[in-house]
Amino acid sequence: VTLSLRRLRQLDDRYHFLREAAPDLDERCRFTFSAKDNICAAGMEATAGSRILSGYRPPFDATAVRRLREAGGALVGKTNMDEFGFGTFCTNSGFGVPLNPYDTERSCGGSSGGAGAAACLIPDHVAVGVSTGGSIACPASFCGVFGFTPTYGRVSRYGLIDYGNSLDKIGVLSRSCAQTEEAFLAIAGKDERDPTSQAQPPLPAGGRPVRSVAVPVEALQGLSAEVAGAFDGGLARLMGMGADVTEVSMPSLKYAMPAYYVLATTEASTNLARYCGMRWGAREEDVNQGFNDFFSAPRSKEFGAEAKRRVLLGTYCRMVGFRDKYYMKALAVRKMIIAQYEEVFARHDVIATPTMPFVAPRFDDVRAMTPLQNYSADFLTIPPNLAGLPHLSMPCAYAPLPVGLQMTAPHWDEMTLLAFGKEWENGFDFRWPEVEA
Amino acid sequence: MRKIHNARGHTSSVPEGGIVDLGEVDRVARAARLRLSEEERSMYAKDLEDILAAFSVLDQAPSAENYDFNPVPIHDVLREDVPSAGIPPEELTAHMDTYQGYVRGPRLS
Repeated sequence: VTLSLRRLRQLDDRYHFLREAAPDLDERCRFTFSAKDNICAAGMEATAGSRILSGYRPPFDATAVRRLREAGGALVGKTNMDEFGFGTFCTNSGFGVPLNPYDTERSCGGSSGGAGAAACLIPDHVAVGVSTGGSIACPASFCGVFGFTPTYGRVSRYGLIDYGNSLDKIGVLSRSCAQTEEAFLAIAGKDERDPTSQAQPPLPAGGRPVRSVAVPVEALQGLSAEVAGAFDGGLARLMGMGADVTEVSMPSLKYAMPAYYVLATTEASTNLARYCGMRWGAREEDVNQGFNDFFSAPRSKEFGAEAKRRVLLGTYCRMVGFRDKYYMKALAVRKMIIAQYEEVFARHDVIATPTMPFVAPRFDDVRAMTPLQNYSADFLTIPPNLAGLPHLSMPCAYAPLPVGLQMTAPHWDEMTLLAFGKEWENGFDFRWPEVEA
Repeated sequence: MRKIHNARGHTSSVPEGGIVDLGEVDRVARAARLRLSEEERSMYAKDLEDILAAFSVLDQAPSAENYDFNPVPIHDVLREDVPSAGIPPEELTAHMDTYQGYVRGPRLS
């Protein structure tokens, strides 16, 4: 292991991707890893990027952290993130903004933005991230690394601070797909502490060959010129590797963005109800006030603007009179989209799209976006996340900033993506940023 | 505006045509236990209106009869209820405001 804590702190002084560094680093470890700040590690602060959880130090390891330690990994820090995972650009943390290693005036992507920067800046490093609607693939695309999101239910979420229970998935970001696979194999599998992990079939020994790649025409609209050109180049490379590429139509994808935001905010608004100043983090001192005032005060003071927006939206969508119109409809739409994916997978091995419609944006461009424009930027990462499908973002070109190609496979077929990713990285001309630290 | 009655018999206004007015924002904020400043009230009224207008595409989607709560089948799994050491309760409550082993909370009124 070449990383020292001193070097890690130098990098962090420059790029601000950590919430907290580990107090020590065992140099005999097999590899170093970091955990997104919504994943618990014993004794380290876990805030999920929210000031309402300031000072919370869980006394236990999340299952994913425990399994990586058991596999010989040393945890070097907790990575910064959008508050509770609410964001596409990692600009919604209560604790500062990580800077893109390729251009410090640009976003790392979100919500696992600190993990994207850590994976890019530190060789041989495993950055554990979490994706609800694209929070692994997006920072992987903007930071030029592999970002792997497994099938919903494949990796135990014990010790994860929830955002959306029917959507959250723990995954891995890394410079190398081989290392991504190794880390995934360590954290995957059933865990009696997470019932959603119990339904999974065993992992197959290897992947299927990728011979037929489907590209939904719906994913080709609204791309920046850089991304459209880079994606064409990526498809040419795929064909050079022996795959057929076919355009398909998936009309139900037009419902994915609204269905996702209905489900995600509905689930988030119930999950965030527990942050009311009693058990974790920020607290009201005066217990003699009524419970409504006691609970409302820290929420109003400590939640950031996007957290309040999503709590309001989610609360609205499940209020009396609106539940059928929004929540139940979104559940039905998700089922319909999964069925459409299955139709495509009956004829093709995987689906390929760009990961994001543009390269890492400048912070002033991010500030100029409305919330709806911001949500709409996720239109390529939302569909596989909504459907719980495994997907891998791979660096496919530099324009001159990195562009990601996102490949999606059927439920539980992670090994096909990882086998392909290892083939993809073999001979790919990686351009790592010049690190100014 | 039309009036609806919720399960407790309270009456509230539901905007038609996707208009989210300040009263609606207040009602949602109260349910979510958020106190909003004047500036936040108008910002979120506009944001919710924009976002809900984009959600209206869901009205064209086929019926909502066939649905699942999770994207893959999840079984109800029960394990034996075996007492074990786990994490000592005093460690789990170390960061909480406790009194004789109980978490301190507000008055229920």
